[in-house]
Amino acid sequence: MKKSLIYLDAENIRNSIDLLEVAELVHGKGEVETYALCIHQCPKEAYGKFDVIINVQDDSIQTYDVLNITNCLEEMHRNYTFDSILIPATHIGRMLAPRLSMRLHVGLVADVTAIDHIDGILEMVRPAYSGKIMAGIVNRGRVPIMMSVRQNIFAYTSDQVKKTLSINVYPTSVQASNISLLEVKVKEKTKDIRESTVLISGGGGVMDQFHRLDELAVELNAQVSASRRIVDSGIATRKIQVGQSGNTVSPKLYIALGIYGSLQHIEGLKNVENIISVNIDKDAPICSLSDIVVEGDAVEFIEKLVEKIRREKV
Amino acid sequence: MNLICLVKFVPDVEDFKYDVTRNVLIRENVKMILNPDDACALAFCLKVKEKDPDTFVEIVSMAPTSVVGHLEDLLRRNFDQATLISDRMFVGSDTYVTSRILARYLEGKTFDCILTGTHSLDGDTSHVPSQVGEALHLHQMSNIVKIEETQFKTGWPVVDVDSERFISSYRVGLPAILSVSKESKYKLPFVKFKNLELDVSAKIKIITNRELGFRADEVGLEGSLTQVAHTFTKNLQKEDRIFVKTDEEGIDTVYDFLEAKGFI
Repeated sequence: MKKSLIYLDAENIRNSIDLLEVAELVHGKGEVETYALCIHQCPKEAYGKFDVIINVQDDSIQTYDVLNITNCLEEMHRNYTFDSILIPATHIGRMLAPRLSMRLHVGLVADVTAIDHIDGILEMVRPAYSGKIMAGIVNRGRVPIMMSVRQNIFAYTSDQVKKTLSINVYPTSVQASNISLLEVKVKEKTKDIRESTVLISGGGGVMDQFHRLDELAVELNAQVSASRRIVDSGIATRKIQVGQSGNTVSPKLYIALGIYGSLQHIEGLKNVENIISVNIDKDAPICSLSDIVVEGDAVEFIEKLVEKIRREKV
Repeated sequence: MNLICLVKFVPDVEDFKYDVTRNVLIRENVKMILNPDDACALAFCLKVKEKDPDTFVEIVSMAPTSVVGHLEDLLRRNFDQATLISDRMFVGSDTYVTSRILARYLEGKTFDCILTGTHSLDGDTSHVPSQVGEALHLHQMSNIVKIEETQFKTGWPVVDVDSERFISSYRVGLPAILSVSKESKYKLPFVKFKNLELDVSAKIKIITNRELGFRADEVGLEGSLTQVAHTFTKNLQKEDRIFVKTDEEGIDTVYDFLEAKGFI
């Protein structure tokens, strides 16, 4: 049985747990014993999913103190000898993973988005050159296998409920830290569509009801953008136009409502992670780029999805 | 103050062209540029030097000797020294090996702070700043958008860090490695007209493996712990597309997708 350790980062607990999927893809389902490490108290959701949860009990360790978290992880690795260590590619995780790999003298692959096995050899796939190419990376023999995993790519869906063993550990390797958190501010919402994480975009198919896009934008904490047709008709300003003659955007989610997807529009979409398109013509060019194609009326889609989101919130 | 700034020259990814028939990305003959995040780190160093002319700023880069022209161009903007770490043996080094090479050079230096960029346009692993930090036993912080200059001199600067949803302020004790993001908007000034032809060649120092003393099997491709097995371009067309309608089932599918991806 292989042993895999997953670091649970408070910044994105749910997706840290989703790394269980990666552990199974690396070692094989049912062939891996999963360990979670969390600083202070482990969130309830993790119980029943991991075989072992290691709670680090030391109030002097802060969740941003990468040096001391590295010390803890190293100490645990010396105790358990893990076959793999998986770290979510959060802000902290992306500093933690390289430090730990250096400490353990093992290779590290960053921002993994897929796991392959080619001729029996594990390949960790990651984007490079701003996502223009993908690279399959192999680890040259040393264990543990280490990677940081791009957030919100993998999902762990197993219903299996495990009997989780919960252990409190009192690390012996804590050192004085010269870093302290003074203040945390929630970032102000920007008005620039190029900086938006989620864009609700409208085209010719929503010409008369373009203002309705706001309803969905509010629910998804998104901004509204438009295709050239909308801008040329004077319904929206060029500031929010997506495409070659407008803005190039790279949101994580692009919802294209009634947009045909001409080449000049698609030119404006760069490294967009997820696209949902709603169109009465499911063969419109934008649909071939989409993760989900919804065939139908875009305004009806807005109404129903907004209703669903509000209902689930209650 | 003694500041060291680690920089990297990267291919201009916007310059890449697709060979549509072979479905490959053409990476040859692409011009090299200073990595944008690193340019911000350099710009911050110049700001410090402007207020405190006694500040000594050394630029350190590991690259082929073909980047000398780029380094000269930087030196003409008032940096004090540029060190180019360059050796045929180092070609093909992964981030682990690169960090060890940089750390071995830096071990022998005295400095108050090391500045770097956070992301690079090419590999974008962000490994090197953290790994150098580990090798030198220093704290390291990524995604810095602001460094408070007045406290910087006291050795306990406050830095603002952008972690997507939040801006967090930390107090960091120096020496440390501070990795700046291009969101910081620190801007490298142009070379002054009178300095355009300035001879700065005496300010460039080249360090090879003769000074650093690695064994051949510790560096380059051979010493690397990871290796690129193959590269491929992403197929633009999504393979596993889901087709639904605007009925209840369709809306539920979209909702579940949004929830799974963390948008709700």
